Formats: sequence, structure tokens, C-alpha cells
Amino acid sequence: MIDLHGYGPRLFEGALITVELAVLSLILAIVLGLATASAKMSRHWGLRRLGTLYTTLIRGVPDLVLMMLLFFGGQIGINMITDWLYAQFDIDIFINVNEFVAGVITIGLIFGAYMGETFRGAFMAVDDGQIEAGRAYGMRPWLVFRRIRFPQMMRHALPGLSNNWMVLLKTTALVSVIGLSDMVRVASEASKATREPFTFMLIVAAVYLLIASVSEWGFARLQKRYDIGYGEEN
Amino acid sequence: MADTPIPLEVRNITKRFGDTEVLKGLSLQAHKGDVITLIGASGSGKSTFLRCMNLLEQPNAGELIVHGDPIRFKETKHGREPADWNQVVKMRAKLSMVFQSFNLWAHMTLLENVIEAPVHVLGKSRQEAIAHARELLERVGLGERADYYPAQLSGGQQQRGAIARALAMDPEVMLFDEPTSALDPELVGDVLKVMRGLADEGRTMIVVTHEMAFARDVSNQVIYLHQGQVEEAGPPEQVLGNPRSERLKQFLAPKH
Repeated sequence: MIDLHGYGPRLFEGALITVELAVLSLILAIVLGLATASAKMSRHWGLRRLGTLYTTLIRGVPDLVLMMLLFFGGQIGINMITDWLYAQFDIDIFINVNEFVAGVITIGLIFGAYMGETFRGAFMAVDDGQIEAGRAYGMRPWLVFRRIRFPQMMRHALPGLSNNWMVLLKTTALVSVIGLSDMVRVASEASKATREPFTFMLIVAAVYLLIASVSEWGFARLQKRYDIGYGEEN
Repeated sequence: MADTPIPLEVRNITKRFGDTEVLKGLSLQAHKGDVITLIGASGSGKSTFLRCMNLLEQPNAGELIVHGDPIRFKETKHGREPADWNQVVKMRAKLSMVFQSFNLWAHMTLLENVIEAPVHVLGKSRQEAIAHARELLERVGLGERADYYPAQLSGGQQQRGAIARALAMDPEVMLFDEPTSALDPELVGDVLKVMRGLADEGRTMIVVTHEMAFARDVSNQVIYLHQGQVEEAGPPEQVLGNPRSERLKQFLAPKH
């Protein structure tokens, strides 16, 4: 067997952190993405501008820079607020930015912008007649969304969604720079200590590959589900 | 008879798209059992008129009274809009629409399409809705196709399925927007046969169509629209049999 020099349990914990971080970020990104797509398709001028501002800002700045800005800048911002509260109202609180939460928020924010574009395109691909039929039969907007717009949109969104997820998964490796002990950080410490980079980095690569393969299988099943009714010929 | 409210009444509807006025004050009364056909060249406004009746298009002015209940409107910066969307939603549930391009929900089977609105809009139990849906599908000749998806059906079958979906709402009035225009000629007959059956059992129907034989044989009132105005209206034997307007004469003349 491969000698892990006792790093096995920490590597395993790191892998769990990677998965948790990725899944929670994905959920946040999907919620933000749906909101962004809705904002960009809104008839309100202000919402459209806000959506565009968000996607332009996020997609134009490197992920790593955003992460450091939010993590370190976020802490400074929060300190400024708590200092002010203390000075003005004598309220003494201290909030420490948790690395994990900061990671989820940053990655969620970044990928929310990409998801927004994916969802927007997918929503536009849904035939208007389908929506109109729902409205004509007395469905309220939320019911139309839940029963018609969303399931039909998902069919178009899944390829992009799955692509975003793969990139998101690998982006989680960046959180090691803000001190979170994810799989990559543990492996990097282990490599330095044992001078066996191949052992640890190959394991890390294999675990990422495994997660990616499992998700690819999952997405293929989802695609099959949302393709129902469209026939093989399409 | 006299006490029951008129299923659908429309008064002085106008509609503009930009600077173009496409409906110039149209009115219509659909009494119980009426089959009213709207005819006219493309661009005459007949489909837009129909779509104003369930507010898929928002008329710029005019009144809409469904089963004695006048729809309330308010002015907004986006133009005139219904004041109470709850009222609109309830109104739409009473008027079911059959579309030119069928618009059956592609991700649902035929049966799911038919029970969708009864279950989620009318709040019927699933079991009850399914039993009713099977009856209706049987009636339009699609009993065997309940579990097919729309993409697996021919245009004619889809349109008959769409009629079953409309019937499942037990509507006061059925609105048909050129129901046979997207069909291959050999599939038109089956759809018209189903529609004749509905007329025979006393359904109130408003039909936008190019099928003059249907207008002549089935409807009790024909309205000929030209550039957003009623050019001629009346019983079919008068409007189609003995038209007074020159335009209508030309419209009805054989094209070849």
C-alpha cells in the first residue's frame, strides 16, 4: 500500500471539506443565478442594470483576487462596522470571518454570475407558447414557473450547469490561500513535510477525478429526466 | 335563461401596437350556446381580438365582462393593466383557449396535460381529474394515447388533445385561435369533427378560423373583421350567403 505517513485521516477530512464547500457553493450559485437571470429579464430598468453590473464585475475580475478581497476586505469591513457600533452605542461584538463561510460566499458569488448567464439563455430557449398556455389556463406566475418554465428551462440549462459545476469544483482549491484546510492544502503540507509530492498530488488528482466522474454520471441522469417528452430525434 | 348572466361580453375593445391601432372598438356578446366565428384576412385583428378576451393581450380601452363580472383595470406607467390579477386568473379558468400551434406542454404526457390545470388551478383531486381526463381523451379519439408525449403525436392528435385539455376545465366559453391552420389538410377533418360535436352539445365557442364551411355550417354568428373593425356581422346565411360589403365579397370569392 501507499505510505501516507499518517496524513490519511487529514486528507480524508480535506476531501470532505472540498465536497461540502463545492456543494454549498453550488446551491448558492444556483439561487443567485436564477435571481440574476430574472433580474436581467425583468421589465424594470434598475434590476436589469443591477444584473448586468453583477455579472460584468464578477466575470471581469480573477477568482483569486475576488476571494482575497472578500475574505480580507470583508474582515476589515466588518471590523469597521463593529468598531463604529462600539464607539456610537457601546455595543461590543466581535465577528470573525469564518474561512469556510467566506469560501462558500465567494465561490457562490463568482459562479452565480456564470449561472445567471446559463439560466438566462435557457429561459429564453423555452417556447413562449408553452408559457402562454399556462397563463391562459389560469396559472399564477409562480405556478407557471414551477410547473412549466423551470422544468423546460432545465433541459436547456443542464449542459451549461454541469460545465459550471466542474469548473466550480476545481475552483474550491483556491480556498487554501485563505487558510482553509481543504484537500489541496493538506496534500501540499504533506508533500513538503515528506518530500513526496507525487504520492499526495496524485491522490488529490484522483479524488477530483472521482468526484467529477460521479457528477458527470449524475448530470447525465438528470439530463435524461428533463429530456422526457422531447424524443430521441431532437 | 334570462336570469343567468351572459358568459362573455366585450365592449369597445381597442388595441394599439406602438402607433398602429389594430383593434378599433370591437364588441361582442357570447350567449350560452353561441358559436361565433371571427373571419378576415391576416392582419385584420381577429386573433388579437380573441387574445384580448382572456387578456393574453392587454386592450388599451374597452370592457370585458365574464359571466356578469366586469374585469377591473387600472392605469400604470406601462399602460392599462388589470387592477386585480386574482380576478384575471379566475376569469381565465372559465375561458379555455385552444391555440393554433397546440401548445401542449412538451414535458408532460397527454394525460398529464389534461389534468394539469384542473388539479393545480381548480384544485380538483388527482383521481377525479384523471377519471375525467380519460373520458375526454376517449371522446376526442385519443383514449389509447393518454401516456404519449406531445412530440410523439401528429398535429391533429395534438390539437384534439389540446381540445380535451380545454374541456377538462369545464369552461363557460371556449376560445379557438385558428385551431386548424397549422395542420396538414388531411388532419383538419378530425379536429373539425370534434369541434362540431362540441357545438352540437351546446358549448359556447368563439372561433377564429379560415374554414368557411365550418363557419357556415356550425356557427350561428359570423363576424367579418377588416383592419380592426367589424365590416359585417350576422347569421352565416346572411354574412356568407349574401354579403353586402364589397370587401367581404372579394374575401369570400374563390381564389383560383
